[in-house]
Amino acid sequence: MKGFTHFISGMAVASFFPQAVHMAAQESSFILCLGGLFGILPDTLDFKLAKYFYKSDFEVKPDPNKLDAREIANGVAQAVNKAIETGKGTVQLHTMQIASNRWRSYLLRFDTKTSEICVDIGPEVDTGQIPFDGTELTDPEKAHARVKVNCEFYQQFDKVSNIAIMTGPCFEFAKREDGKMEIVFLPWHRQWSHSFTLGMLIAFLVGLVTYFTIPEGPHPELYTIPRWMLYPLIILFGSMVHIIEDSTGFMGNNLFYPFTKGRTNGLGFMSASEGIPNFFFVWTSVICILYNLDRFTPTGNPAIASQATFWFWFYIVPVAIMVYFFLKGKKEKALKAKETGDKEKTVDFDGPQAVESETDASII
Amino acid sequence: MEQLLDILLHPEYLSSLYFCLIGIFASAIISFLPALHIYNVIGIFMLFVLKFEATMAPMELIALSIGMIVGYSVLNTVPATFFGPGDESMSYYILPSADWVNKGRGYEGVIMTGIGSLTGVIVLALLAPVFIYTLPTLKAITSPHMFWIIGAVIIYSIMSEWPKGLSQSPDCWTNFKEGWYYLGIGFLLFLASGLLGFIVMAKTMVPVQFAFQSITPVFVGLFAMPWLITNVINIGKVPHQHEAESVELDWDLVARGTFGGFLGGFFAAFVPIVTAGVGGLMAGHATAQRDGRLFVMSYGTCKTVYYVGSFLLFFIPGLSLTRGGLACIINPVVNVLTIKEYFIFVGLMLFAAGVSFLLLMPFTKLCLKIVESIPFQWVSIIAMIIVIPAVYLCTGWGGMFIMTVATGLGLIPVLFQARRMNLMGVLLLPVCLNMAGYGNVILKFLGLL
Repeated sequence: MKGFTHFISGMAVASFFPQAVHMAAQESSFILCLGGLFGILPDTLDFKLAKYFYKSDFEVKPDPNKLDAREIANGVAQAVNKAIETGKGTVQLHTMQIASNRWRSYLLRFDTKTSEICVDIGPEVDTGQIPFDGTELTDPEKAHARVKVNCEFYQQFDKVSNIAIMTGPCFEFAKREDGKMEIVFLPWHRQWSHSFTLGMLIAFLVGLVTYFTIPEGPHPELYTIPRWMLYPLIILFGSMVHIIEDSTGFMGNNLFYPFTKGRTNGLGFMSASEGIPNFFFVWTSVICILYNLDRFTPTGNPAIASQATFWFWFYIVPVAIMVYFFLKGKKEKALKAKETGDKEKTVDFDGPQAVESETDASII
Repeated sequence: MEQLLDILLHPEYLSSLYFCLIGIFASAIISFLPALHIYNVIGIFMLFVLKFEATMAPMELIALSIGMIVGYSVLNTVPATFFGPGDESMSYYILPSADWVNKGRGYEGVIMTGIGSLTGVIVLALLAPVFIYTLPTLKAITSPHMFWIIGAVIIYSIMSEWPKGLSQSPDCWTNFKEGWYYLGIGFLLFLASGLLGFIVMAKTMVPVQFAFQSITPVFVGLFAMPWLITNVINIGKVPHQHEAESVELDWDLVARGTFGGFLGGFFAAFVPIVTAGVGGLMAGHATAQRDGRLFVMSYGTCKTVYYVGSFLLFFIPGLSLTRGGLACIINPVVNVLTIKEYFIFVGLMLFAAGVSFLLLMPFTKLCLKIVESIPFQWVSIIAMIIVIPAVYLCTGWGGMFIMTVATGLGLIPVLFQARRMNLMGVLLLPVCLNMAGYGNVILKFLGLL
């Protein structure tokens, strides 16, 4: 799911605590933002920390002055071959920066039918990924390469990686029990950071601090939990909701790291990059926040006159519309795939480029 | 609808249409003043207009304002695309649209944005009756919580910035430092902008007689000047722009773009200080927008809903939310607001949107002629020659000093590839903390109180 979806879901979870809503309304507390902060934290830990400290077995650093698609494909094949021998191999692909606003792009994909690693050198592009005319390689030998490997690929996400700007992607090849070679995209993603254990550990540590530092607020008799416990609970549920939301996609999480070793598969209900599923969670969160802010208002006079009307018009109707368009889209996609004979493509990637390439203007 | 037309075309209200038209044409001229924020220019314009207040009925003044704000929100895309943005809301849009200009598709991009603006106004009009029943409740629920909602916007803006850099060193720590270098600059920029905001709001150097323009030099410095400076030193050339006869849009894209843009624009209009740039970013993430066309079109919706919607909120009977500069300017003139005036507003808004959209194509072609006949650098130099004396005239030497400091900050994103949105710390941080009641503590800490 998108970072924003996790962020607002975390705040929605926090709003279920009446004391937190009262603290926000009466004591100018930012406690509800704490849920949002920890809602987005697992991805922050991955993309701002974990990715820097993940060591790959091989690195492919193409030379923009000596372009050769085969060299890149061979570099990837090295990692696959290591995985064939030892069960696991990883490779980090790097981008090629030519000037401050000029990059050489290349495409990488894995052909499951022919067991080939396919690399195509693309044109030079600017940081906004706009190609420069006439910069394509003219020598087909250097521009395109297919390297066969001695294994059958298994990939959950039929994805062509366009490696062009900023940091390139990392792949892990892991031998499965059925003998196939699983392609794991961004192996450092959704590991320890996306585990219930980390959430519990942080909550425990914060709880230790708040137990000794946070005094009881006014009218404690109104609440079932003491104020000090509010902070760790919001942190715990904020990070949990992130993991639960991510589990609805195709890429799962490493739920009980370090007790569980690898990333599970997701439930596959929806793709993390799809608009409607993301908006479903966002809208659900918005409605929950508004509902909770209203019912826990310290004045005791809720502004929503009829809860049934509120839920019907602002939740049931919009969700029904979302479900209709979601299913319609699925049906159309399946029909299109049937017509073209292609496999239905799924992409489940919430990396920085996918999230921000269209919306963060400043990198251009 | 028939009733609304009866009212609008009644001789008593025909003058409203006339003033609305004047507003639209005035906005076309205002839009041409490059790199200036709408409310500053309108503020000066209104000072002139208010001299005629005695001879103008309040509704005529409102009609004039509607014409200006709708016209500006539709037409300002054109000079912003080709000459440079005037505020944060525009700078958010302008960089992606620069791609379209580079591809020679600037004209098409402008028209797509115009379509987005038009659909935004239509949706606003369709929802206008619903607003009467729903927005007072929304206001009642959210009012005590506005400070942390702005706080959440700040946290998300900071946390959603991803590290940049190549990460190609064999040493992990070098890569880590490289990535965090950009994040750190973004964060420091946000704090520095916030500090500037505190200083400007607490002890502005702008003379008292120009106090209503105290934020002008800040915005010109943060958003307009860096853009103009970049244009002047830019060795690039604007390629020939193709005047497309059609745009590459289908109903599905229009619906998705309008939906996403409306969400962002409405959020920005409803929540104080949040601009269309911030609202658009959040809505874009919330609806997982990907298509470049979708972005350009939805941005038209977003900024129009933000500019016009924030003014519309003021006219909703029983709500009277003063959001945006124009509502503040018009506030003293308006005494009583009824449902009738509200729907006249809606009718005039639709009228103004239609006329502005029709003006968009000739207006764009005119701008294209200028861009293609005058070197791009000179357009920016002329813009600076207009903007700098304008700031001096409106705010004096104090304003010039603030503008210089703000320009320094505004150049940081250009030089260090940080997000321009961080500059919105200038308003977000002081307003959020003031609303939460921590403003005085910080001012005391800074020695400003």
